[in-house]
Amino acid sequence: MSDAFIEVQDLVAHYGEQLVLDRVSFSVQRNEIFVVIGGSGCGKTTLFKHMTGLLTPTSGQIIHAGQDIMTLDEDGLSALQRTIGIAFQSSGLFNSMTVGENVAMPLREFGDMDETLIASVVDLKLSLVGLAGAQRMMPSELSGGMRKRASLARAIALDPPVVYFDEPSAGLDPIMAAGLDDLILALKRLLGITVIIVTHELDSIRKVADHVLMLDRGHVIFDGTVAEAEHSEVERTRQFFERRPDEAILQRSL
Amino acid sequence: MSVKRFDCPTALDRDSGRGLLEAVRQGNVAEGETILLNLAETRSVTSPGGAWLMEIASWVRARNGIFQLEGQSGSVAEFMELIRPGFTAEAPEPEPGDNPLQRMGGAAIDALDETRAFLRLAVDSVYWTFIAPFDGRGFRGGLLMDELYEMGVRAVKINFMMNFLLGLIIAMLSAAQLSDFGAVIFVADLTTIAFTRELAAVMTATVVAARTGAAIAAELATMKVQEEIDALRGMGLNVTQFLVAPKVLALLIVMPCLVALGMVAGIAGGSVWGIMAMGIDSGAWGRELLAAAVYSDIIQGMLKAVIFAYVIVLIGCHNGLRVTGGSRGVGLVTTRAVVMDIFAIICIDMVFAAVFYYVLD
Repeated sequence: MSDAFIEVQDLVAHYGEQLVLDRVSFSVQRNEIFVVIGGSGCGKTTLFKHMTGLLTPTSGQIIHAGQDIMTLDEDGLSALQRTIGIAFQSSGLFNSMTVGENVAMPLREFGDMDETLIASVVDLKLSLVGLAGAQRMMPSELSGGMRKRASLARAIALDPPVVYFDEPSAGLDPIMAAGLDDLILALKRLLGITVIIVTHELDSIRKVADHVLMLDRGHVIFDGTVAEAEHSEVERTRQFFERRPDEAILQRSL
Repeated sequence: MSVKRFDCPTALDRDSGRGLLEAVRQGNVAEGETILLNLAETRSVTSPGGAWLMEIASWVRARNGIFQLEGQSGSVAEFMELIRPGFTAEAPEPEPGDNPLQRMGGAAIDALDETRAFLRLAVDSVYWTFIAPFDGRGFRGGLLMDELYEMGVRAVKINFMMNFLLGLIIAMLSAAQLSDFGAVIFVADLTTIAFTRELAAVMTATVVAARTGAAIAAELATMKVQEEIDALRGMGLNVTQFLVAPKVLALLIVMPCLVALGMVAGIAGGSVWGIMAMGIDSGAWGRELLAAAVYSDIIQGMLKAVIFAYVIVLIGCHNGLRVTGGSRGVGLVTTRAVVMDIFAIICIDMVFAAVFYYVLD
């Protein structure tokens, strides 16, 4: 038995009849920033939704801190999900609640805290992500970057040992994206959390990643460190890091 | 093998490109012959011009010929290099449609899947509304008051008006017929029986389906599209417990109240016509009305109210949670929810009519 924190073995997933992930296997160590990369539509987000138990795979195992997600019943899965923080691509903030209520929600549900403490924890988490004072704003009043950060604040509300972050810098300006990278590094350092990031932003991969997993059309084509990835023998991985286009961009995308 | 050569114009655009295609077509090109376009004189190519070149290439391919370019230089050569893959790529064949048997099978499987999902939601919602709270698993009461206000209080005016006007219409219609027999007084019986048994429940359910059913479907669908449902599940919270159960309970409380109001409104509408327009004595009208109002009819109306309420919430939630695609998907499932609601209301009402008039009578 390895000491991996999260282990994925032979994961196969379909959308309808279309094969999206084909025998994907890898493991994530404790307190590392694990980055899943790959071109658009390669199955990154699908992988992330399977790892968090939001989708059920066709076959394979996802072992999370010693527990196989597939063998858990509904209550067991819910209990496991409480130890996971998720920040979604489109933020997933509840639009009917203020930012403060959004962050407070997991605390109210599972935190076993009184309201004064909840309010203070909300203040703390929002300060951590640079949104101090935004408690009473509605998600619709926030900019894209603020929404991502509010979503991250909610994800870390219960101090989960692992946080999933789907496309943190997509659609953000470079300054905001760099700020988020720093924030992720700080959270790893200060809170000792494991972070799993799905992205295809080269700059942020170089900055934060301890470990890189590359998917291409549902297959793992690279699994190693950033330095290894930059000089990988896998042509497609090198192409990704050197930002080289395909020979015939139109034909490949068909 | 022979080669046919054509010179391209200096400026290859929409018109000259078309001319070139015509020239190639009428150039006595034999099957399998190579077509060579000379671009030496060509200095500019527009997009439509390039599109005509592709059209020529595809015409040549269809005749098993070979399409070649020569003499291009500078920006024209660069442009040709970019569009070169288009000279050889066939447009994708349209996907072969399934045969009728496959389509029927596919539709049957989809219907089965959807039925299974609906039944699962039905069972889940009963559990999370009526059993789980007494099982120590809690009930999301926080939003109940909001739901009661939104579904109930805000529907009072429109529901009253709809039933009142329908009562008026029924009275006008029946009074015109019954006056021939001097039996206008029986309009009181008719509106009373009609509204207690049938019309108040059906009319109110229609109003609620259009207001609340659509709102539920749109709300849940939008939440799903914006990953709010995923976020909820990702926190380990149960969607049925959190979103569906409060709505089920709220509408189960509100609907009988609205139907009771509908009964009163409909009968009031009939009475306004009978007493004010037909000039029937209000005392006689009142006695007739009270004699026609019997408990079993009212109970039948209320029973329907409860079932309609449950069905409207379930159909709304079921459709909302099944949304795929973006904003268009939200619109589609909302429409679908309302159509299914109204169809279900009529079907259930028909079953009730058959059971109460013919089986139990």
